[in-house]
Amino acid sequence: MAESKEEVDVLVQRVVKDISSAFKRHPNIDEIGLIQCPEARYNRSPIVLVENKLGVESWCIKFLLPYVHNKLLLYRQRKHWLDREALVDITCTLLLLNPDFTTAWNVRKELLQCGALNPERDLYLSKLALTKFPKSPETWIHRRWVLQHILDQFSSVAQTTEQPVESEHPDAERTLLLSNHLNRLIHQEMKVCSDAACRYPSNYNAWSHRIWVLQHMAKGNIKVFHDELSSVHPWVSMHVSDHSGFHYRQFLLKELITELSRSSSSASTIFGSSQHWTSTVPSSSHLANGERSLAYSPSGERFATVLQLFYQETELCSDLIETFPGHETLWSHSCTGEDCSLCPWTQMEYGEPLHGHRVEPS
Amino acid sequence: GGTDAQLKDVIIKPDAPSSLLLDKHADYIAAYGSKKDDYEYTLSEYLRMSGIYWGLTVMDLMDQLQRMNRQEIIDFIKACQHECGGISASIGHDPHLLYTLSAVQILCLYDSVDAIDVDKVVDYVKGLQQEDGSFAGDKWGNRSDYLYSFYFFCSSAFILSGKMDTINVGKAVEFVLFSVQQQTPFKCTPGIKCEYFNSAIYCCTGFLSLTGQLHQLNADLLGWWLCERQLPSGGLNGRPEKLPDVCYSWWVLASLKIIGRIHWIDKDKLRRFILACQDEETGGFADRPGDMVDPFHTLFGVAGLSLLGDEQIKAVNPVLCMPEDVLQRVGLRPDLLS
Repeated sequence: MAESKEEVDVLVQRVVKDISSAFKRHPNIDEIGLIQCPEARYNRSPIVLVENKLGVESWCIKFLLPYVHNKLLLYRQRKHWLDREALVDITCTLLLLNPDFTTAWNVRKELLQCGALNPERDLYLSKLALTKFPKSPETWIHRRWVLQHILDQFSSVAQTTEQPVESEHPDAERTLLLSNHLNRLIHQEMKVCSDAACRYPSNYNAWSHRIWVLQHMAKGNIKVFHDELSSVHPWVSMHVSDHSGFHYRQFLLKELITELSRSSSSASTIFGSSQHWTSTVPSSSHLANGERSLAYSPSGERFATVLQLFYQETELCSDLIETFPGHETLWSHSCTGEDCSLCPWTQMEYGEPLHGHRVEPS
Repeated sequence: GGTDAQLKDVIIKPDAPSSLLLDKHADYIAAYGSKKDDYEYTLSEYLRMSGIYWGLTVMDLMDQLQRMNRQEIIDFIKACQHECGGISASIGHDPHLLYTLSAVQILCLYDSVDAIDVDKVVDYVKGLQQEDGSFAGDKWGNRSDYLYSFYFFCSSAFILSGKMDTINVGKAVEFVLFSVQQQTPFKCTPGIKCEYFNSAIYCCTGFLSLTGQLHQLNADLLGWWLCERQLPSGGLNGRPEKLPDVCYSWWVLASLKIIGRIHWIDKDKLRRFILACQDEETGGFADRPGDMVDPFHTLFGVAGLSLLGDEQIKAVNPVLCMPEDVLQRVGLRPDLLS
């Protein structure tokens, strides 16, 4: 069933508009997907919305992709003009079909830079793309660029000492707003990474992004690192083959230990006033037990915290190894802790049994 | 104790291909992309320059380069060089370090590096080096996880056009070694017990070879870790508990060759695995037996077999993944440990 070029163009332009309208009318779309449907149904749009999931019927893809792809390239070569709205719509469609198309993300970077596009929209678009393409390297790269762009905007706002006349927010309130926004962004990223890690096993790109976010947006924030350690604990317990998940735990532990070993650090809280040697991973109720800044604790207490972290990790490992024998990932993770000295206060080798618990090959 | 039932691996069927089908692979590559409006072809256009490099290199290794359209490809590359000197994956796409390197490698195969403005390429790449010695992939400053790759690719680009001295090599080396240390938790030996997928190890090793810094590696320890990637099927994986993939028969094998430990791998079993990844009907190699073939895995399957000593294939250089005779022509001999 051959269609003329004109018919195809008309059809595709309608589809691009349908996608754009779908997003405008349903801002809660949280997933995209392809619907296996080899033939067009009479006069019905191939764009289908079911319970916040946006589907594209497969029959139209072979027309849709080449059209938007070539349109964008003609624009890029200055052979065909597209206004901002058209650019946004075309790149949106293109990237939902082919998110590794770097040039399309770059076009959106330019729109972002000149203020024609809100960065939140690209966080949203890339999040959607990742629901179908959880590994897509170019999507993760673009996401980091957008986050950096937002962070740069934060710093320039924070550095502004002159208030615009119409502003009613004093400095302290503005700092709080920024800080809340930052925390929201961090939590959003953790969720996006976590979803992508569930969609594809040992998703290196998702976990590396997660590390990047903490390194760039939560530097020195002991609470965030500690919360993360708690929150991935159930995940790794259910994904014992996932090498990336365990590597993430290693990263968190290392960062926590580095921060705790600083002689003076910001007033971050981590544990309650009582330290239990035999406790398992601390629950979220630790904050309710009376917060106390660890920064001003004597180094002995911080040393004890480091040992406790290490002890808990060893316990986690040995529990999982007992429950799921024969997983190379778990051995790899447990050996890392054992072989290396991790405490700057001592050169003690942690090959020795720690409180009588040692991971033995069975 | 551990049970093999949990081990992720493939089983090679008794009727899997066991001899090398070079003619079929040459036919496969020669015909690839001849239907240029194919949907899949459009989807992969964003990496076209690398795709061409994979295809041409494997054809040259099989001594079939003459079947490809040299002038068309050179003209294509010219059309992909931008004002800034950088080269894009395809016409109209944005320039990028990765595709700049692929283009330079292709032109080297064809002994036509002067078809493009080489000085501008040097300017472009030089401009991408950051203060800490690493390289961005493009003008947007993207510092993806493939840091080592970028560096490696960048150095390669310089090597191939003979202008290695215009980048800050010292800083670049410093950055790689520092990054490798930082990546490993608790400061373990570079490359061991860390979240490396082995293409990163390969890029790092290749970079250290090109910059004469191989002595910085603990070859025994790295060699041991790499050999741990060999599974009972003979195939190699990239990280613990991942399935074997034929492209790792390149990344891992080449790394072992560079550090002088290739004899530590079970060569017969690996060869058997690679051969099983061929498709007898279409030609080409897939990532593992029975899957769909593509040019990427075809190159690394053939290159891996070359490293294992197959005499029907030209010798391949383990650092740059190009035929040795091409590098000899250019006068390049990157370091290898013995």
